[in-house]
Amino acid sequence: MMRSGPCSDPRSASASNPTESDRRLMNDLATTADQPLAGKPSARRSLASKAARGLMRLLPGLALLGFWQWASGRWIMETYVSKPTAVAARLYELFASGEIYPHLWTTGQELVLGYVIGVAGGIIGGYMLGRSPRIASIFEPYVMAFYGIPKIALAPLFIIWFGIGIGSKIALAAIMVFFLVFYNVYTGVRSVDRELANLTLVMGANQRQLTYHVYFPAAAPYVLLGMRMAVPYSVIGVIVGEFTSSIQGLGLFIREASATYDPAGVFAGIVILLVFVAIANFLAGRLERRLLRWKTLTVAAPNDI
Amino acid sequence: MNDAVLSFSGIRQEFPAPGSDVGIRVIDGIDLDVGHGRFVAVIGPSGCGKSTLLQMAAGLLMPTRGTVHHRGRAIATINREVGFVPQQAQLFPWKTLAQNVELPLLLRGVGADERRERVAAALDAVGLSGFDHYFPSQLSGGMQKRGSIARTLVYRPDVILMDEPFGALDAQTRMVMQNDLQMLSRDASATVLFVTHDITEAVLLADNVAIMSQRPSKLLANIAINLPRPRNVFEPFKNPGFEDAYDAVWTVFRSQIGIRQQPH
Ligand SMILES: Nc1ncnc2c1ncn2[C@@H]1O[C@H](COP(=O)(O)OP(=O)(O)OP(=O)(O)O)[C@@H](O)[C@H]1O
Ligand SMILES: [Mg+2]
Repeated sequence: MMRSGPCSDPRSASASNPTESDRRLMNDLATTADQPLAGKPSARRSLASKAARGLMRLLPGLALLGFWQWASGRWIMETYVSKPTAVAARLYELFASGEIYPHLWTTGQELVLGYVIGVAGGIIGGYMLGRSPRIASIFEPYVMAFYGIPKIALAPLFIIWFGIGIGSKIALAAIMVFFLVFYNVYTGVRSVDRELANLTLVMGANQRQLTYHVYFPAAAPYVLLGMRMAVPYSVIGVIVGEFTSSIQGLGLFIREASATYDPAGVFAGIVILLVFVAIANFLAGRLERRLLRWKTLTVAAPNDI
Repeated sequence: MNDAVLSFSGIRQEFPAPGSDVGIRVIDGIDLDVGHGRFVAVIGPSGCGKSTLLQMAAGLLMPTRGTVHHRGRAIATINREVGFVPQQAQLFPWKTLAQNVELPLLLRGVGADERRERVAAALDAVGLSGFDHYFPSQLSGGMQKRGSIARTLVYRPDVILMDEPFGALDAQTRMVMQNDLQMLSRDASATVLFVTHDITEAVLLADNVAIMSQRPSKLLANIAINLPRPRNVFEPFKNPGFEDAYDAVWTVFRSQIGIRQQPH
């Protein structure tokens, strides 16, 4: 499943369905043959349709919240599931009293550091093994073997090694992120067309320029896919680490809320985690759109008709 | 040695056969000179080692036996003085057309102003002005091919190696491209080594047609084509002397492609 590459990503799959404006663009290109394209599809219309689509997306979520609010206390006991208004109140209280900030700070640090270390390690390792078949043939079996270990099972071990502070959580998140990013980068680098690389060398590139102009851009879709897939894994790593043993953090907060029969507190913690993931996804998406502009344009290729 | 720009001497090539220790001999002794400003076409049956020869000229592959000399210097590493136009356009999909064409200049340390001028001139020469900011995926197959040629011409390589550059194009685009190539290579007085399957194409474009045998391949003949230029690529048979030149090549080539005799 790791080897399937960026094409397996559901979002890029949906991008291959040309929208109305894309189809118009294709026709333009096809009919005006060798003439540069004039004008772009109107930006205002696409903005309006975007807003409409956003609203449509909100509806199911709102419906779910409404149902939760209504059913809580009627169908299911509130002590089990709490209810949206209670969760909101609890969230407000947590932030107003400042009670949550130390937990936020700790978990935030663990997430960011674990993610960054894991991504950096994955990119470096994947790139090195991808570029050198000799190193790859030595290390690949080991990496494969380690990949098979459920990383969660390492949590108790990491607590022993790195203590109950943030170190063990960073290590756990980093190792989960590392393997995901590593495999994607490794696949991406190995997918680079040999002929294209040779061509670039003949054009006058040295190894550094080859890396910068060919390997990085060619592997970028894989790197970014790995980075996006790794976001939830870093959260799992950190939270499991905190569940296992910790002095501070959202995982600990959630566990304590559960121990004191405070479902609103549990949900409040989960909501905060959700926000973390949403922000990270948003940033990753922005990065992806900026770096892969050339890829999203493929839809408009006239020779695809 | 001699005044050839590119000279293959005593080239042999063996490739390791799958599941065996002894190599398979693919090229069995080839000598070929490409003179300055000459357009040399290489034809031969599929798998005879045409692409392999180009790889050697670019320094991407060392022959098992023999040497390739470029202006008297034996090629031992990547040969940066050649330009390579592959069968597929192989533009960088993540770079715009202008950035693609600019890259060889960038890699060779040409200054920004000169780069801009030369990119514009190269795009103009292949009829792609105005498409600077298009990504390859937004260009048609023929346009991509033009881009690929512009990217090679822009740094004025000493020798241009072309590996069936028009093989994947439709008949019309192909003729237009052949005509353009004829003009461009004449204007630049470029030295070209051109691999193709197509006898008509070889005869129309080349000063010399080198014919390779089936593998293990040898050079069967190196036939000079003395048709006047510019040649009419759209109506090959209207070129005076075309028929004779075609026959000369075909007579040698037909022995290599086992045609079944039609009983009459
Ligand atoms: N790296 C390699 N390892 C093993 N065999 C190879 C390798 N490269 C090429 N060959 C063999 O060498 C022969 C010549 O290959 P080459 O690509 O030069 O043929 P070609 O004349 O260009 O054919 P075509 O006209 O089909 O492109 C082929 O039969 C191929 O099987
Ligand atoms: Mg070939």
